[in-house]
Amino acid sequence: MTQYVIIGDGISGSSAAETLREEDPDAKITVITDEGEPLYNRILIKEHAKGKLPEAPISIHEEEWYEERDIELSLDTHVTSVDTDENVVHTHDSGDIPYDKLLVATGGTPTQLPVDNSDADGIHHFWTFQDARGIRESAEAADNAVVVGAGLLGIDFAAVCGAQGVDGKYLMRGDRWWRYALSGEGAEIMHEGMRDVGVEPVFDSGVDHFETDDDGAVTAAVDPNGDRYDCDFAGVAIGLTFNTEFLRGAGLEQDNGILVDEYMQTNVDDIYAAGDITRFYDVLLGEQAQNGSWGSAKEQGRVAAVNMAADAEEEEFQWVSSYSITHFDFPFLSFGHPTLGDEHAERKYSDTEWRRVAFKDGKIVGGVLIGDLSPQSKFKQLMRNQRVVADQAEVLLEKQVDLDNLAPEQEQ
Amino acid sequence: MSMASCDILRRSRHLERVESVTAETTVRHVDQLDTETLDAFYRALTADRPVSEADVDLEPGEVIVFTDYYRVART
Repeated sequence: MTQYVIIGDGISGSSAAETLREEDPDAKITVITDEGEPLYNRILIKEHAKGKLPEAPISIHEEEWYEERDIELSLDTHVTSVDTDENVVHTHDSGDIPYDKLLVATGGTPTQLPVDNSDADGIHHFWTFQDARGIRESAEAADNAVVVGAGLLGIDFAAVCGAQGVDGKYLMRGDRWWRYALSGEGAEIMHEGMRDVGVEPVFDSGVDHFETDDDGAVTAAVDPNGDRYDCDFAGVAIGLTFNTEFLRGAGLEQDNGILVDEYMQTNVDDIYAAGDITRFYDVLLGEQAQNGSWGSAKEQGRVAAVNMAADAEEEEFQWVSSYSITHFDFPFLSFGHPTLGDEHAERKYSDTEWRRVAFKDGKIVGGVLIGDLSPQSKFKQLMRNQRVVADQAEVLLEKQVDLDNLAPEQEQ
Repeated sequence: MSMASCDILRRSRHLERVESVTAETTVRHVDQLDTETLDAFYRALTADRPVSEADVDLEPGEVIVFTDYYRVART
């Protein structure tokens, strides 16, 4: 009987456990997590923090889900190290757990700002359900907020402030939000969305240090220009630090994430990785890449499990990811790798509509759609088909995209 | 109306905007929809017309989180 151990019960770990049970009915499967609750919907916790969604719909699995599938779930369990010679996972107080095949799906932990008082009361990071509960409670009682981190995670804090009626200042280091993927025109639509919910973007700013009261609660953020912003709530989302400390000495190749091939295999025999923590070989991009979307993590877990159960390179990971922002009156969807590639095309259609498509070697590798999502499936199809279309960008920038207007594909 | 078109109507879905959800409601974020279902969901929303059950992975009663909350209803 094969023994599978999965470290992490996020969507990738849980997806892997479910697939392993389907693929290998007689196997022993153990899922270890340092969290105190089984899988929940990480995309929806921001809705809870906004005060819009009760807790119950956010839970995905009860403990019975694991029992019904004869999957051993070990909650509140901290893995201390992995012995890759003996194939054993060591835990803090739950003993040693042997494995034949191991999946690492531990994700990351929000990175703390390296400034004075960054651990003061009232300063929040956003990753777990427990974080969301604390943010909701703190935001409900707050009057003034500061948000730091001009990316896809930071904007959730801005939305929480807007939904909870907290006046917010969004301190950004550059001249716009998500400057790696958006031009000024695209970003300005997002800035207007922030202003509409009561959060003012502040550019060429950031945080030099936080000020606190005698009880250690945050009272203000001071930016590198010396400007001071009163706040009794602060949200910091400057990135993730991947949870790999327990792998020290295990010999896994890492490069800001665990390196895996398209089969989710690491460089160490019988160890796989899936989810946010991986820097995977993206067959569509033709290079190593990262992705933090729900769908990508779920699919990585499934593909890893298929290959673990087969003990072979049975299926490769091939996926076009989507990440939406649904906080404003207009939709926003990022797909693939919009910050990568060697050229791009973009167009603004109205005060709430903008589009960008990124290309590598003439093929679509990602994009951003603001205000109008109608071309998303067509762009994803072109990306999956790896069709060379950069020389026909005009067709892709038409308001109504018609793929029939593309020139016929040339025989390779 | 023919039997066939009656059948299609009976098996179609439309979206209703809701202000809040109860603890018992099944809720999904739009990022959990596959590409085709997202396409159909978006078309249903922007064109304000029902979508065929066969085209989409949308269950009656569930709520989809988009720019608002939308309940999937049988037409």
